[in-house]
Amino acid sequence: MNLDYEKTLEAEIDRELKTLPEISAPGTLISRVMARIELRAALPWFRRAWDTWPGPLQGVFLVAMLALFGGLCFGGWEASHTATFGLAVHKIGGWFSGFGALYSALNALAGAIFAMIKQINSAILIGFLFAAGLGYAIFLGLGTMYVRLAFAKR
Amino acid sequence: MREQFETFMRNYQNMVYSTALRLVANSAEAEDIAQEVFLKAYERFADLKDSPTAGGWLRTVARNMSLNHLSRYRLRWSFFSELTSSSQDEDAPEIQFAAPQELDEELARADRKELVEQALQKLPPTQRIPLVLYHLEGLKYEEIAAKLNVSLGKVKTDIFRAREVLRKKLGARLGEEMGSESLKR
Repeated sequence: MNLDYEKTLEAEIDRELKTLPEISAPGTLISRVMARIELRAALPWFRRAWDTWPGPLQGVFLVAMLALFGGLCFGGWEASHTATFGLAVHKIGGWFSGFGALYSALNALAGAIFAMIKQINSAILIGFLFAAGLGYAIFLGLGTMYVRLAFAKR
Repeated sequence: MREQFETFMRNYQNMVYSTALRLVANSAEAEDIAQEVFLKAYERFADLKDSPTAGGWLRTVARNMSLNHLSRYRLRWSFFSELTSSSQDEDAPEIQFAAPQELDEELARADRKELVEQALQKLPPTQRIPLVLYHLEGLKYEEIAAKLNVSLGKVKTDIFRAREVLRKKLGARLGEEMGSESLKR
């Protein structure tokens, strides 16, 4: 591309665009904004954003939240040292013991499948993998073709 | 305070609306964006009302909101534009160029600025947005590429194509004003 041409074009377009006047905003814009402001102002303080709450309420809320957080931490720490907590942990652990049995069963099944594969002739295995890959490629191709046909511009 | 804010809006509403409209090319969407910009400004009005940089702040917010709007509503804009840049730009409905004589008449009739504005609005988004960001918003190529999440090369190409379309639309007039044939290819 001709560099001089590009520079001249850039300068000319720049001049054209920079001299464009501002476009007049619709006459309804100010009234729309003011209506939204009125609507927000009419909302009770607790339904507005926290940073628009009255100052004292912000302070009270902050202190209350900190106290709640501190209380929860302290309560949790205290509870963890009681005998009831140990019993509860043991009980909850029991609920999930079924998952352990399921994991063991799946592990045994996977081991059996692996042992079976090891017994199969490698040529058969390669043939099976090739067939699976081919099938996947065919489905992928057919899917792509379908999508292209379905979304083709008419 | 409400009256002060109304005055503030009157001073800046055209600038905010123009910024949004030139980016989104849709008057209803531009009005919605301008409304959100001023609602944001109202929350910070205590800082903005006497600030000499209020205009710059509003412009930046309007630009960012417009770009957010474009990326939200034109899903994965960059991905889409990368996919379609080579084909769609060629397939995109070209601005109908009148014959030279008709063009002269058209230019004579229509307000020149209006013509530039219309040509700008008719550009495909992949060309209009980087062009506006470069020439009207004063962003560098690298900044535009980062904002739109596209490659630097694509930004340069899109802006060049956009200038070419505008040149073709306004070509005869530009050539005359330049007093040379340098812009006529």
